[in-house]
Amino acid sequence: MFVTLERAAELIREGKILHIAADESLLEQLPKGKWIGGTTPYFITDEGGVTSKDKLFVNEISCASDYKIAVYDKNNVSDITKDAYPNGLTFLIMPFGSDVAVFYSKEAPYSDELLLNPVIGWISGFDLSTDSKAKVFDGITGISYCDKAVALHVCLPDDKIASLGIVNIFDIDNNDTVIEFYEDSLSVKKCLVNGKEVVLSDYILENKIDTQLPLVADYNGVLINVSIKSVSEENSTVDFYAPVFAGNKYHFARPVSNYAASFAEYLQGLKDVKPIFSCNCILNYLYGELEGKSTLPFTGPVTFGEIAYQLLNQTLVYAEVIDK
Amino acid sequence: MSLDLKFEQLIKGELKYKSVNLALNLLISRLQRKYAANKTPAELTICLQEMKAFVEKYSSIMTKDIEEIKKL
Repeated sequence: MFVTLERAAELIREGKILHIAADESLLEQLPKGKWIGGTTPYFITDEGGVTSKDKLFVNEISCASDYKIAVYDKNNVSDITKDAYPNGLTFLIMPFGSDVAVFYSKEAPYSDELLLNPVIGWISGFDLSTDSKAKVFDGITGISYCDKAVALHVCLPDDKIASLGIVNIFDIDNNDTVIEFYEDSLSVKKCLVNGKEVVLSDYILENKIDTQLPLVADYNGVLINVSIKSVSEENSTVDFYAPVFAGNKYHFARPVSNYAASFAEYLQGLKDVKPIFSCNCILNYLYGELEGKSTLPFTGPVTFGEIAYQLLNQTLVYAEVIDK
Repeated sequence: MSLDLKFEQLIKGELKYKSVNLALNLLISRLQRKYAANKTPAELTICLQEMKAFVEKYSSIMTKDIEEIKKL
């Protein structure tokens, strides 16, 4: 729900367990309580995309039978699965550009325990027209962090279980150019294109590839995006918002002619989903011009990275709590 | 027993199965890459244990997946 500062404070005082997304100026005014928060001024509400520094997006986690909040840095974020409840759901928020976010993005996919413990969340951000910093908030202490992650672990009743899903509007052509990388990395110089070594930045520039389109890898039918952050002709580097992994085959996504229409098409099949949390990517929001456009039943913060077990890009992620 | 064999074949990439369950798809993909990087019986056992732990934990919502995998 998209509420005023007064309403959010009221919910906290009532002892509700909350996930909150808002501009930093609002989050820092909230009373202490059972909540975690992250910064963003961008949201998808029931009425559509909106930029706001006057309201907060609040998810009340009413299904929780118990909860705990933990703060992590890169040295202990791997403990997140150990700290999770055996039958639970973890909400994780990490600041954009933080060491903990970089570490998690590279290491989480290798965790043996990760897929046994649902982790949903996002990378907090800031108003792109300012030079603000992304932050996360631990509502128990009221302390905010630029360099740490905050997690809300919730325990679910025995007859319920958490289920995560994603909406990725991008598609690939398996017969298209195959790109492979030598190592897991957020920044790449050389790679293999159809088995031949090339400088990726040169390849992108020479072939006039639209860098608004992510690289996409097929994870057993699940398409996972890696978005391009920048291409430097001078340094011959391509930087990404999430790591590329050695051993995966990537393709450039097919162009999307109309983001909003593509979302609408995908969401047709998900009308019955009852998400307790969802978030969508800032790149979808910007490139897709989603301001004023609805993506119901999915509402929530617009984010600088999405987490459904692992870090994702240009993807809508959601969590449901369903009957066992 | 036959389900274990199907899981082994999935891990080795000899069978294909796509679920509607995001976590199961990510797990199959992860185990296939893990095994492909170290094709030993020991690694296969580790991958199989991981698959079985996942199925055990989510057995209540995986009935359909299990039935479909058995039919592969």
